[in-house]
Amino acid sequence: MAWVIVGKRVKVNILPLRFGLRAKLLLLSSFLFVIPWFGYQYVWEMEKYLRYGQEQTLVGTARALATALHERANLFNNQASFLPSVEKGKDLYGYQFNEPIQLDGLKKDWPHYQQRAHYYNNNHQIGSIELNPPIENNKKTSLSFSASVGKFDKYLYLFFTVLDEQLIFRSNNARSIVNNDHLELAFNDSNNNFKRFIISNQKAGWLSAFRVEQEEVSELNTLSSNRIKETITPAPEIQGQWIVTPQGYNLELRVPLKDIGDNIAFAFHDVDQQNGQILNSIGSADPSMPDTLGTMLVPSPEIERIVKGMRYTNSSIWVVDQHHRVLASAGSLKTAGGVWQKSKFNNQIEQSNLWQKFKQKWLLPLYYQVLTKPPTDFIDKLYDAQNLTGDHIISALNGQSKSQWRLTTDQQALVLSAAYPIFINNEVKGAVIVEETTHGIRTLRNHALERLFTAILAILFLGAVAFTLFATRISTRIRDLSNQAELAIDEHGRITGEMIASTVNDEIGDLSRSFALAVNRLGQYNHYLENMSGRLSHELRTPIAVVKTSLEVLSLQTAAVAGGTKNHKDSAYIERAQTGINTLNLILTNMSEATRLEQMLANTEKTAFDIKALLQGCITGYQHIYTDTKFTLDLDSKTQQCQKLLMHGSPEHIVQLLDKVINNAVEFSDDNQVSVNVKQTSNELIINISNHGVHLPKAMESSLFDSMVSIRSKSKQTQPHLGLGLYIARLICHFHQGQISAKNHYNKDGVTLSIKLPLTSLQVKD
Amino acid sequence: MSKSIVIVEDEAAIRENYAEVLRSQGYQVQTYANRSSATQAFNLRLPNLVILDIGLEDEFDGGFTLCQQLRTLSPTLPIIFLTARDNDFDTVSGLRIGADDYLTKDISLPHLTARISALFRRQDALKKPINNDHILNVGALAIDTMRMSVTWQMKTVDITITEFWLVHALAKHPGHVKDRSQLMSDSKIFVDDSTITSHIKRVRKKFLIHDKGFDCIETVYGMGYRWQES
Repeated sequence: MAWVIVGKRVKVNILPLRFGLRAKLLLLSSFLFVIPWFGYQYVWEMEKYLRYGQEQTLVGTARALATALHERANLFNNQASFLPSVEKGKDLYGYQFNEPIQLDGLKKDWPHYQQRAHYYNNNHQIGSIELNPPIENNKKTSLSFSASVGKFDKYLYLFFTVLDEQLIFRSNNARSIVNNDHLELAFNDSNNNFKRFIISNQKAGWLSAFRVEQEEVSELNTLSSNRIKETITPAPEIQGQWIVTPQGYNLELRVPLKDIGDNIAFAFHDVDQQNGQILNSIGSADPSMPDTLGTMLVPSPEIERIVKGMRYTNSSIWVVDQHHRVLASAGSLKTAGGVWQKSKFNNQIEQSNLWQKFKQKWLLPLYYQVLTKPPTDFIDKLYDAQNLTGDHIISALNGQSKSQWRLTTDQQALVLSAAYPIFINNEVKGAVIVEETTHGIRTLRNHALERLFTAILAILFLGAVAFTLFATRISTRIRDLSNQAELAIDEHGRITGEMIASTVNDEIGDLSRSFALAVNRLGQYNHYLENMSGRLSHELRTPIAVVKTSLEVLSLQTAAVAGGTKNHKDSAYIERAQTGINTLNLILTNMSEATRLEQMLANTEKTAFDIKALLQGCITGYQHIYTDTKFTLDLDSKTQQCQKLLMHGSPEHIVQLLDKVINNAVEFSDDNQVSVNVKQTSNELIINISNHGVHLPKAMESSLFDSMVSIRSKSKQTQPHLGLGLYIARLICHFHQGQISAKNHYNKDGVTLSIKLPLTSLQVKD
Repeated sequence: MSKSIVIVEDEAAIRENYAEVLRSQGYQVQTYANRSSATQAFNLRLPNLVILDIGLEDEFDGGFTLCQQLRTLSPTLPIIFLTARDNDFDTVSGLRIGADDYLTKDISLPHLTARISALFRRQDALKKPINNDHILNVGALAIDTMRMSVTWQMKTVDITITEFWLVHALAKHPGHVKDRSQLMSDSKIFVDDSTITSHIKRVRKKFLIHDKGFDCIETVYGMGYRWQES
């Protein structure tokens, strides 16, 4: 028997989306992502410093090179660098070629001809204007040309594209070489001797060049004191091709460099008639005047030699004069990745083990979704070697070293350039420009980021696994604990089992131990309460026996002494006392009934019996006992068909169960009718006992079968009720793995008690 | 010579009440409160009947121990357990170690005296030759009402007074259903229904020892039991 500690089970509304302990832990652990972010930031910061370092290195390189060039005036002397100013078109710049040039009159092997050529028109007219009659002004425009100068190996190359309406070749038998379209070329050689040439072809094809030497005729001839004698000799050292184009003609020629000094001039003379006069002359300077020749600058082999020593620095190096013209260059920007590039090459030696393969195949493609590989090929703006521009160069030519960052034209690469001035006699005579791309640093940074990403991935993966495991373990433990705690006390508030205390020495372990202790203590207390009535009845039994026996002795003696009706009054008292003591005794018996039943059930062996016969017999029996009440027994067709319904259990206890339930139904019946309804489903036998009468209070439906619960009104009680009847019924039902429940029904107000006995223990025999 | 009865009971009031009633019935009554004093007395002389309580002062099972000692002294001495313990387990243990009856303290004094006299009667009858007048034969069952003994298929069934009365009540009117209250009044016990059930179970077992196919005591569900002649 048990006094039930009534406590409403608190139902926690579980939201469909539960924010569990695991989710919380994962959320918290997401703060760990900050660490890789810091790593990423750190790498970027490092790159910044590396760039700064590279800048310094680059300036250092420029300075070193400039130092090698300081105060070496002779390097610049013959390079026409000392001119205070340069005039475009007159002062020429010979571009350095990397490929040999074929003398075929075609400009296709001249790189960047369009950009590098200079265009000459009427503004570049030379010679005596008075020669040209004004009437033929319209014809003046008929001549224009563009020219480009280049240098390869030991030759200076010149290319002219001439636009001329009327191409007049030298007549086959003409002695004069000037009465046709011709090119006049003049320069000072390295010994400062003036040389003049005329190229005057009889037909398109290989050039016919002539050197013109002027001699002043002896002073004897006073009449023509300024008459000049010209000797014309073929000049085979000037080689080239003359081809005719629809617009005019092209001239491509070369001159050995050893013949050429710093000064040069060329001019085209236009003749529109056979053996006609020169109508127009256009050129860079007047070739016939040695004093007004323009200058010519070609990349200096001496400086180049010095610069060549620097090309191992992985930089692209330029040396310019004060007019921004390139004197020497070395290295290409495409291989100029800076000093950091070396580290990249070291890492090229990669072991082809499994990890490397995995990294190559999976990780790197993933990383380069985010990272950019420095492009191996990019397009940079073309430097006009004749005129290098840029703030840093201007600054350097003003005497201030400067470095600057810029993007290449296609925005693919970042270029760092540094410029450092070259001083000669305390004057800036040029500048050294060193350029590098940031590829080295970027490669290095990518490498660092690769490693960082790998580490991050590893950390995240391991961290996630560890966190998940940890969180799972904790939540599992807590869930276990919660389940255990829930299972330890059943729906009726009884302690059903002991909790197993965790041995883990942490907070959850403490919680588990506390729970186990609490449940244990509660269990002990519950046990004490459950046994209390039993013990109480046992303890009370002796004093009651004392009273009872005493009363009996007294009554016997009274009867013996009186021998008749004399002491009627006394015997009445004794009788009342005996009635009282009997009632008390009955209460005690009832109190211990449940305890005894539990003990008995524990020792009861289950046997097979016919429950159908039992039910029929019982109902007949009840009809005898409760003569006023009408019992009806309805068996469903399935039950009716089978002769015997064998059940495995204790028939005496089933009878006891029916006794209690029927007794209950009879007592609460209004119209003295009790119906027993038997249904057989596939897995259980349902016995419904219904009576018409008052309803059960709503709150009592579930607790009706608990110990010491009675809803009988005082007036109904003819004998003491402790609310144990239905509790005993429940005990018996549970012993048979069955269930008992009570429900109100409304078609006619009343209560139905429903007993479900599992059919697994039923054996249907036909 | 009047019969001598020993009551071993630690509760003085009950002891004296019982003693007084039994004395008034003409028995010689000795009372002891604990096991050691009772044992001393038994070593000197054995009474004709012993009434024992199970719990004796400090000894929880003192009555059982005493009963065992008495059985070694005399196998035939009638022993009655009169105790407040009413569970099945104690009842079975008490009867198994050789008590002739097991009564709870609910029992009324007239019932107690009836049992005592019945026990004496049975003891006396055992000494006399068998008198067929007192024998009730129902099939294979023979009930000697004088000796209060039962034989089944000519074999004596070892049975207590209560059980004898139960069998007697059932077999007197074979085929008639006796409900529990009838059985209770017939066998002069005052206990609840489940006690009858366990008594019937024990009786069945005792018959089953001799005859595996014994099924004469039939349960009529909801009503009671009846003796079914096979």
